[in-house]
Amino acid sequence: MSEPFEPKVIAFLCNWCSYAGADNAGISRIPSPANILPIRVMCSGRVSPEMILRAFRSGADGVLVLGCHIGDCHYIDGNHRTVKRIPLLRNLLGYVGINPNRLYLDWVSSAEAPKFAKVTNEFVNTLRELGPISEEIKIGVGV
Amino acid sequence: MIEEIRTQVAKQLQKLDGIVGLRQTNQGTGPFLFRDGDDLNQLVLEPRYPLPVVLSKLQKQFRDANFGIVARGCDVRALVEMTKRLQIDSDRLYLIGFTCSAEQAKMCYCADPFPAIEQWPKAEMIGESVTGVQPNPLVEKFKTMSWEDRRTFWHQQFQKCIKCYGCRDICPVCFCEACSLEDPQWVEPGLLAPEFPTFHLIKAIHMTTRCVSCRQCELACPSEIPLTVLYDLIREDVSNLIGYIPGADLEAAPPLSLTLSDAPMKSDLV
Repeated sequence: MSEPFEPKVIAFLCNWCSYAGADNAGISRIPSPANILPIRVMCSGRVSPEMILRAFRSGADGVLVLGCHIGDCHYIDGNHRTVKRIPLLRNLLGYVGINPNRLYLDWVSSAEAPKFAKVTNEFVNTLRELGPISEEIKIGVGV
Repeated sequence: MIEEIRTQVAKQLQKLDGIVGLRQTNQGTGPFLFRDGDDLNQLVLEPRYPLPVVLSKLQKQFRDANFGIVARGCDVRALVEMTKRLQIDSDRLYLIGFTCSAEQAKMCYCADPFPAIEQWPKAEMIGESVTGVQPNPLVEKFKTMSWEDRRTFWHQQFQKCIKCYGCRDICPVCFCEACSLEDPQWVEPGLLAPEFPTFHLIKAIHMTTRCVSCRQCELACPSEIPLTVLYDLIREDVSNLIGYIPGADLEAAPPLSLTLSDAPMKSDLV
């Protein structure tokens, strides 16, 4: 008897919007999945491809990057970098055979608690369908 | 063509402090800084060698010197990206560009095997341009492959990697002093083949907006991993997403470090 697959998700949340949005969702008692492991970063532009790839390497089934809406960045244009970087990395994942839907970028402001719950729920549901990442990356060996 | 280049080099050497080129002697062929009075019959064009890397090192060491370089199309594209990233001082550089032979261009699947020298302050061009080179068929084939097939393909390829760092060392646009590929935080040391996906994908994602498609990495790879298939696909993505072609325009700034108003996105790509 094996338990049903539950994905592990690393979520990079920006300090100024999305982390507060997640907090807000908690305070407002809007349920969001327990699969999310939040990592607070100062800006979504801080999330380097290295961090995302290491999350996958360490066994994360999906990586979520949430930041402020374009124009609302605390650092004015930090998320302008993110919005260009993530699609390129998503495509690159596809080229080596990792499903690009395992990486997702969205904008959640601190007032958007329902959106945080919606985005996380949808993402976890997608990952449940995709199955564990160990089928796409063999964890623990070189390649 | 080689005689023409030798004459031109001899002429320019009277004004310049030295010209970087390839020298062939009994011991073999390697990069060399030709000075006034050197035997220019030893100057050769083959094999391909990343001379811009040598030039960058020389320029950094001799801050007042004016150097020249004998460069082919991919070398000039690399020089463009290096200039933007402050690895080359274009004001202290004299460019002698020459075109690759048709066979060479075909072997490299090179889309533009002739140097675009118009934008350089001091440059000249020798040779006729080559046209009608087909792109790498593997790239087209790759686009139609399923994710499973791609995975199998790259697993087999990356399994061969002996982590010699040759692809990074020979790359003209890989110049960071602190390299992510050597940082144990991102790539665990002591594993062979190196970690997937971190090692190869970090290299690949750093090539976005930089890779000038010179194929030196593929030539240098002792395991013959077709790295440029991956990099060609990324080049295409960057061109579709932001409309940026690395190595094409000396004035265009690297777009990933610009705001959306300075370098807008053409599509979502997703």
